[in-house]
Amino acid sequence: MLEIKNLHVSVGDKPILKGLTLSIAPGQVHAIMGPNGSGKSTLSYVLAGRAGYDITEGSILYSGEDLAAMPPEVRAAKGVFLAMQYPVEIPGVTTMTFLKTALNSQRRARGESDLDAVNVLKLVRARAKALNVSEEMLKRALNVGFSGGEKKRLEILQMAIFEPKLAILDETDSGLDIDALKLVADGVNALRGPERAMLVITHYQRLLDYIVPDRIHVLAKGRIVAEGGKELALELEAKGYDQFAREPA
Amino acid sequence: MTALAERRAEARTIFEGHGLPTRRVEEWKYSGLKEALDEAGLGEDTAYVRLLGRLPEGVEYCDLANPKPWAAAHFGTLARNAVSEASLAFAEGGLALRVPAGKAVAEPLLLETGGAGHARLLLVLEDGASLTLFETTDMAGTRNTGFEIVLAADAHLAHVRLARPVEDVQVEEIALSLAARARYDGHFASFGGKLARAELTIALEGEGAQAHLSGVSVLGANAHADVTTHVIHRKGNTRSTQLFKHVAGGKAHAVYQGKVTVAKGADGADSRQTAKALLLSETAEADLKPELEIFADDVKCAHGAAVGDLDADSLFYLRARGIPEAHARAILMYAFLEDALEPIANEDLRGAVRTGVQAALRSLL
Repeated sequence: MLEIKNLHVSVGDKPILKGLTLSIAPGQVHAIMGPNGSGKSTLSYVLAGRAGYDITEGSILYSGEDLAAMPPEVRAAKGVFLAMQYPVEIPGVTTMTFLKTALNSQRRARGESDLDAVNVLKLVRARAKALNVSEEMLKRALNVGFSGGEKKRLEILQMAIFEPKLAILDETDSGLDIDALKLVADGVNALRGPERAMLVITHYQRLLDYIVPDRIHVLAKGRIVAEGGKELALELEAKGYDQFAREPA
Repeated sequence: MTALAERRAEARTIFEGHGLPTRRVEEWKYSGLKEALDEAGLGEDTAYVRLLGRLPEGVEYCDLANPKPWAAAHFGTLARNAVSEASLAFAEGGLALRVPAGKAVAEPLLLETGGAGHARLLLVLEDGASLTLFETTDMAGTRNTGFEIVLAADAHLAHVRLARPVEDVQVEEIALSLAARARYDGHFASFGGKLARAELTIALEGEGAQAHLSGVSVLGANAHADVTTHVIHRKGNTRSTQLFKHVAGGKAHAVYQGKVTVAKGADGADSRQTAKALLLSETAEADLKPELEIFADDVKCAHGAAVGDLDADSLFYLRARGIPEAHARAILMYAFLEDALEPIANEDLRGAVRTGVQAALRSLL
């Protein structure tokens, strides 16, 4: 589903990713772990299409198509979803209106008809309940005045509503207490399925206790420096990232 | 000669003495009136003022050509400048409105000014009276409107002014006087014109009087919109707040000039001023000039101005959720304006202003 080959990415003149190779098949959950500054967030932004990240070498294929050539909204309509580390606050737009606008924008881009307000409401309510997102939150302006936990729950709610084929979770665990973390992890686990691939990006092993990945990649200095099964997370937890940071890039 | 005729003759002399203001006049620095008008200037015709719908129960009116004593007592008494003197001199008659003491009028009063020429309005709220006024403009015509508003003690006026987009020069000078504990909530929306200006001179004459202003302008192509305010705190414990937001694209020009004066002895005065502009093109322009003049000791005054572009993080967030770029931009522009629309208390009027703002934003894309 996702095939990244020898990816080099610069921000301004500064190279951040330096030859990253990674592939994820449908139904799999992969984790990317790495210390601060290793390029984790850059990878998530490049996949979602944020401006200012220049691909200087290599390629990203998504379902066989060149992902880098697509604007962010086209990627979203084709099933790429990034749960962001810092969801933005947008005053003046209620969360419910935003969800309806986004959902129908994606549907339209795929040539499907709009869902009417009643059906959007039904869908949102059904998904919101499991994530403990209240009606009151849906009426508030998007993310405005939301706590860190509420913002992250809303990100996962969007994932549940949009039903992406490739979900990227960027530091979804940051700023969450253990109860919120479990709630979010349950929400993510409920979305695991044979057609969906997930990429979980995290600094800490903690999240991976709850979202158990099929494969773990360690990112350091812009490259994958180690790979393994879920047990790799425990090893990292015990030994830290220093063993990789010291290796020459 | 009647007192009214004398006052109008005086106004004519003052206007002719000053002539039309050019950019060299400080208050008109960003909006040269003389430069924007052709040879005919503002002319000497009378524009119209009319009620939309019925007169709400509890509101009295008369024609300024034949004023009742309550109208004659105030007509032509508030702040004077050359342009407001012109409307006084040339407008034949005009509309005077009064809400008697203690009367709370629930239904909004809807007014429209239109046509070419000069128009005059007077509104008097007596002690403890309250009213919601919706003022709008019809499209065409070079127009100069002079509006005097007198708020007696404990009176409360909510004023919503929605200026429709025009190709012409349209200016309005609104002069207010507030007695003790009176309150004025003024909300202004403009979509510009060749030169569209709302000028407010607000005198907080009584202890505890307050004025709260908010406004938006949405401008494209060659539109020009100017909001110029002067709030004078003359007594203690007076309060004023101002929040003005502009969105300008194309070669549009947005202007906010806001002066706050705190007179000697107006201790405990509290004033806040914020003006922000979002520029959507290299050729759009915004001049934001908040200004303070303080002669009292114990006051709280704050002001700020900022000009910027749409937030890149927010734009990316919306697009990453599948919302096409043009639509995402429209959402963010609306979000930028929202806190300046939200203070409109009357839901129907807020809805009418929002509809106008959304239509104007769509035409900017």
